[in-house]
Amino acid sequence: MNTNPKIDDLLEGLIVAIADDILPNVTNAKAYATAMMMQSLIQGIRQRLPVFEAGVVEEHNQMTQVLRDMAAALSGVATPEADRIRERAATLGQLPDLPLKPEWQPIEDAHLQLGHALEESFTDLDVLQRAGNAQAEVALTIMRTHLGPRYIREVQSFVLGGGMIGRG
Amino acid sequence: MGDDEIHFVMIRSTEMICSFVDGGGFVLNEQLQGLMLRLIPGATDVAIEELVPIPGGFSRETFRFDARVKVAGVDEVFPCILRKDPPKAAALLDTSRQVEHELIEAVRLNTTIPVTRSWGAEMDASVFGEPAMVLQRSHGSGQTSELFNGGVDEHQADDVMRHLCESMVALHTTDISKLNPGGALSDPRNVGIDISSWDSYIDSTIAYYLGAYHELDFDPITMVLLDMFLTLRRSKPRPLQLSLVHGDFNPANFLYHEGKVTALIDWENSHIGDPREDLGWMTTMDILSNSHVMDHPRDKGGFLNYYNELTGWNITPEELDYFTLFGTGNIAVPVFSAIKRRINKEHMQFLHLYIIQPALSSIPNVIRLLNYPGVSL
Repeated sequence: MNTNPKIDDLLEGLIVAIADDILPNVTNAKAYATAMMMQSLIQGIRQRLPVFEAGVVEEHNQMTQVLRDMAAALSGVATPEADRIRERAATLGQLPDLPLKPEWQPIEDAHLQLGHALEESFTDLDVLQRAGNAQAEVALTIMRTHLGPRYIREVQSFVLGGGMIGRG
Repeated sequence: MGDDEIHFVMIRSTEMICSFVDGGGFVLNEQLQGLMLRLIPGATDVAIEELVPIPGGFSRETFRFDARVKVAGVDEVFPCILRKDPPKAAALLDTSRQVEHELIEAVRLNTTIPVTRSWGAEMDASVFGEPAMVLQRSHGSGQTSELFNGGVDEHQADDVMRHLCESMVALHTTDISKLNPGGALSDPRNVGIDISSWDSYIDSTIAYYLGAYHELDFDPITMVLLDMFLTLRRSKPRPLQLSLVHGDFNPANFLYHEGKVTALIDWENSHIGDPREDLGWMTTMDILSNSHVMDHPRDKGGFLNYYNELTGWNITPEELDYFTLFGTGNIAVPVFSAIKRRINKEHMQFLHLYIIQPALSSIPNVIRLLNYPGVSL
C-alpha cells in the first residue's frame, strides 16, 4: 500500500476541490448547502479517522470493566434487576481485553524505510546485471515476485473504472 | 492545511461564486474577440457566441465557441476551440501552444493526415491568464467508445481504424524536416534529448527518465517505474528510423464520421522519436480504456499487421511491448511528477490527486510486460 498521499491528504483535497471547482459553479441554493454539508462531513471524517479504531478498542475494554464493577457494587442486592446486571457482567463483562491499537506513525515510517530499501535495490541490481552477474536476475525475480501482487492489490483497492473520468 | 485554513476554504466559496458570475465569462469573450480579429485574415468585425467550457483531456482547459466574423463585408461563422494552459504549477505537460500551432499547420499543409486548422496561439499570458491557442472545431464524433463493445458505431470500426492506421503511417513516414523545420520538436521538453541517431535518441531519453525519477517518486510505490526505466536501458530493440511521433496517440484523440477519421487531435506531446512509441501507447490506452483500436481493421489482421503491411517495417509484438513501456515512461514522467508536486502542496489542484487513479491503473500492464511472476491481466 502506498502511504503517500495519506488518506487525510485525499480528504483535504476533496474539501478544497468542493470550494474551488464546484461551489463557484453552483447556483441552486439547496445544492450549494449540500456541497457545504459535504465539506463539513468530510472534515468530520478527517478528525475522526485518526482516533476511531483506538477509541473503539479503548471503549470496548472500559465497558467490560464497567459491567464487572457495577456487578461488584451491587453485591448482596437480591432483585431481578441486579441479577440481570450480574448476568451481563458474567457474560459480556468477561470478554477479554482487546490489544491496544499500535501507534500508527512508527509503522508507517518503517514501511516507508523498507520501501525505499527495495527501491534502492533496483539500482544496485541493475549495476550487477549490466556487469553480467546472473545471480542478480534471480534477486530481481525475488523482488518482482513480492511486488507483483502488491501492485495488483494497490490498484484493486483504489482505482475505479480505470481512472478515465474526464479523459474524453 | 490546518483547521482554520479548512474553515476558510469552506466559507470563501460565496465570494468566489460572485466573481465567476460577474466577470469570468465576459472577460474571456472580449479577449477572444480581439484575438480572432488578429488571427482571421481580413476580419473587420468579430462576435463571440456560444462560449462554453468543455470537458475532455486532462492537460488543458478547453472551451468551444463560434466566431461570427465579417470578412470583406460578408458574415461567416467559424466553429472554434480555445485550448488554454492551466497555471504553470498545475500543468501536467509543460508544452508550448505556439509549437503545437506550428506543428498542426505543418501537418495540415504538408500531409494527408486529417487535422483541424489551427488559427494561432496567444503566448502573452496577460491576455487569457495563461498562453492559449485557437483551433477550428472539426466535424465528427469524439465518442470513440461507440466504435467498440456493441456501441452504435461499431459497424464503422474497421473503416475508421483502417484510416487511422493509414494516417499514422503517413505521419511516421513524412520527412521530419517538413514537420519540424525549426527543430522545436527535437527536444520539446528541453531535457537533453539527442536525435542525431536512433541510439542517441533512445539513450538520452532513458537518461532523462532516470534523471527525472526523483522528481516523480512521491512514494516507494513508484519503484516499478525505476525498474521499468532500468529494464528499458538493458534491453534496447533493433533501431528504426526516427519520425515525428504524435505522442498521445490514444482512443480519445481522434474524431470520426462515416468510416473516416475527420481529425487527429491533441498534438501537444508530439516530438521526434521512434514511431513504435505511438503504437505502444495506443496499446496501453486500449487496455485502460477497454477499447479495441489495435484489433482493427480485422480483415488486415489488426492495426499492427496493417501498419507493417503499409510500412514494411515488420514490427514484432516484442518490439511493441518494449515501446509500450517506453511510451508509458514518456507520459509517466510528467504525470507522476505532477502528482508529486500536488502531494508536496506546490499547488492544490484536485485533478492531480484524481490522476493517481489512472496513473496506478497503468501499472498492471507495466508489470505484466516486465514479466513480474504471477501477474496476468
